[in-house]
Amino acid sequence: MSIADRALTSEMASRPDMIQCRGVKKWFGDFQALCGVDLTVKEREVMVVLGPSGSGKSTLIRCINRLEVHQEGQIVVDGVELTNDLRNIEKIRSEVGMVFQLFNLFPHLSVLDNVTLAPIWVRKQPKAQAEIRAMELLERVGIPEQAAKFPGQLSGGQQQRVAIARSLAMNPKIMLFDEPTSALDPEMISEVLDVMKALAADGMTMIVVTHEMGFAREVADRLVFMEAGDVVEVGTPETFFTNPTEERTKLFLSQIL
Amino acid sequence: MSDASVGVQRTVAPEVALPSPGRWIRDNLFSSITNSVQTVVFTVILLGLLRWALGLVFAEDTDWTAVATNMRLLFTYNYPTAQYGRIWVATGTVLAAVGASCGAWNINPGMTVRRLSVSGTGTGAFLLVIGVITPASTPSSIRTWIVIIGTALVLISLTALRIVDKPHRRSVSFASLLVTFGVAVVAFLWLFPFGNYGFTQGAVYAEPGLVAESTRVPWTVLMAIVVSAFFLGRETVRRLGEAGGLIRRSLTVFWVVGPLFLVFLVLRDPAFDMGYVLRVDIPIAAGFVLAGAVLISLLGQPARAELARIVGAVLAAGAVFNWMAGFMGWYPMLQKVRISFALLALLVLLLPTLAGERAARLRLMGLWAVAMVIFHWLITGMNTPSTLEIAAPPFLGGFVLTVTIAYYVMLASFPVGVLLALARTSKLPIFRVLATGYIEVIRGVPLITVLFFFSIMLPLFLPRGMGISDLAAVFAGYAVFSAAYMAENIRGGLQSVRHGQFEAADALGLTTVQRTGLIVLPQALRVSIPNLVGQAIATFKETSLIAIVGGFDLLRIANATIPNQPDFLGQKRPGLLFISLIYFVFAYSMSRASQNLETRLGSARA
Repeated sequence: MSIADRALTSEMASRPDMIQCRGVKKWFGDFQALCGVDLTVKEREVMVVLGPSGSGKSTLIRCINRLEVHQEGQIVVDGVELTNDLRNIEKIRSEVGMVFQLFNLFPHLSVLDNVTLAPIWVRKQPKAQAEIRAMELLERVGIPEQAAKFPGQLSGGQQQRVAIARSLAMNPKIMLFDEPTSALDPEMISEVLDVMKALAADGMTMIVVTHEMGFAREVADRLVFMEAGDVVEVGTPETFFTNPTEERTKLFLSQIL
Repeated sequence: MSDASVGVQRTVAPEVALPSPGRWIRDNLFSSITNSVQTVVFTVILLGLLRWALGLVFAEDTDWTAVATNMRLLFTYNYPTAQYGRIWVATGTVLAAVGASCGAWNINPGMTVRRLSVSGTGTGAFLLVIGVITPASTPSSIRTWIVIIGTALVLISLTALRIVDKPHRRSVSFASLLVTFGVAVVAFLWLFPFGNYGFTQGAVYAEPGLVAESTRVPWTVLMAIVVSAFFLGRETVRRLGEAGGLIRRSLTVFWVVGPLFLVFLVLRDPAFDMGYVLRVDIPIAAGFVLAGAVLISLLGQPARAELARIVGAVLAAGAVFNWMAGFMGWYPMLQKVRISFALLALLVLLLPTLAGERAARLRLMGLWAVAMVIFHWLITGMNTPSTLEIAAPPFLGGFVLTVTIAYYVMLASFPVGVLLALARTSKLPIFRVLATGYIEVIRGVPLITVLFFFSIMLPLFLPRGMGISDLAAVFAGYAVFSAAYMAENIRGGLQSVRHGQFEAADALGLTTVQRTGLIVLPQALRVSIPNLVGQAIATFKETSLIAIVGGFDLLRIANATIPNQPDFLGQKRPGLLFISLIYFVFAYSMSRASQNLETRLGSARA
């Protein structure tokens, strides 16, 4: 069994693949950020990626919606391979939601307009329909009363929840989270994690780069440990935290736990 | 998480009392010996300068009748008196739009009573100083009036400060400021009938009341229009809610094409040949409306985006060929057909971005039809001879020319500047090189050279049968020049947009055009506002260079026309001082408006 499919239960192994990475390599100048990553994410799976900073976690998920361009290897998202073909990229991006560390809300648009922008312009939905859907999503992330405000008037936690609603408005099949709680004050982390937990419970396929070990242990189907651009270990939360196989994983866990 | 911190008593910030004038002077002007010395020295210098400037204004050899007699010349040049109603209609329309826009966008620069009183006191004191130090040559009646007005201002302001409770919390609304201003202008015109000047055997005589009589009725109506347009705009937008957006959009459209209509259709009054219009102009416009509607309905569906791109590219190639053919003189074709064809190609190219479901397509069809009607109406009007009986050809001159040129140079160079800035920051080398080349070449050449090139050289290079009017040539040259500077100002704004905004837009699947138009540009332009207003002010003032290439703008009238009139030979000073005042009032208003805009946009963000 390849490293990509390790630690899958038989039920999960039978599900279709949502994301396949095979030998993905990426360089920034002379620096190699990804050294041949193999990874498979199944439908409705929650995968948490851990690792020290600079290990290539963010680069990996940014390659999946082509915010970064990988130079070697293959990435297939929902049956479509990522190439330079513009149409493929636009199609994949509209199917893959992404939540950023620094929220990246559009500061000149109200919360409601932030959420309805992509459905109206990319999915060509009528405005009224998009707004109804947006209010549902804001309800779901717990801030419907902020719809008319501007991002600058919200707290960090609220902004990140708007960012999640904005991604969900496109009805994505996959959600990518790039350290969604790292820029938040401690008292706001839980409100964002709660939203993510609810999303996982609803069966969204998710890849989460995070340092929140409690979240990882509770929600993840599988954990991936990366170091220096390589996947070191893939495991279920129990085996990963209690009985890791690799020395480097043990060292990492001993430093953070 | 909740904000209500239990047990903590929240109190209002303590009131800061306004210091008495004596206290303020002691604290700010004579707080220490050095400070006192500085105050005295600079006061003496400033008073000296002021007296020198007043000497220019009130000198015996400064003949202000030169300005008073030539008001009409300065503002509208040789526009025929019999048709003056057109000027009033145009002014009224613009002022109504100003009032309605202030109301519709809720532009409400109110002032607190304290600020109003403080500036009133300052202005009054300044007037008193002027009254005291004016040179002996000042007519005593003027001196008396200055002193009376100054004293009144100081007294009223100080009383207001005393009477009104908590003056820094009481705000005077913009509406009441506007009404007061209007009433003051009207009252002045009705109560002080200043004279009109004429000449008998070389001697100036004043006929009481003529100027005031011919302008006070129109100005009363205009002030009423401004005020009622303000309230009308505010109330309609407030009442209609969602539909208020339509009023704002219509006002925006007015600000883009309205002034052209006023200049070419109202002021210039073309004599339409109705037979020709019915036979040729209307069928052409209808044809383009129809063609656009058919293309939108066929290619506007999201599934046909690919086909729309291909058809758009073919049409664009056709449009380029059409222009080349025009320059080579291969086949005759009306200029407006060439332009309409290019616009049609642009429409089809933008279809994948703009169109979508049925309602959006229908809206786009409506927009296209309206745009075509307006465009063809305007172009036909411009190409039709004027009915005005004007001795010398330029029907635009004076202040009207200055404002028209400045306004349209800004308006035309804005989209060009945006495109150039985007091209210069583009990833595609061909765009980058072209834009950088254009900007650097234009920025390396003086404006006057560009104006000369366009007004004298360009007509020589144009193919036979293709002419360009003097006004259009100057306008084109100026717009070409201004666009380069505009591009650099906007590029600064583009660079301030954070990288995360691009990534977020990409991650949502927006196309490059959508990302630029919806996310990047709105943020970049907001940052560029101070620079853009700075450029607008510079453009407004530099329109005076038109004088050198033959336009009769404010400067040329004050500097050459008036001093050559037999009655005012050599009288340059009053005219130049007067147009300086006009330039200053407008430039300063623009600067204040930009500060207001920045505060509004800033508060929307924070």
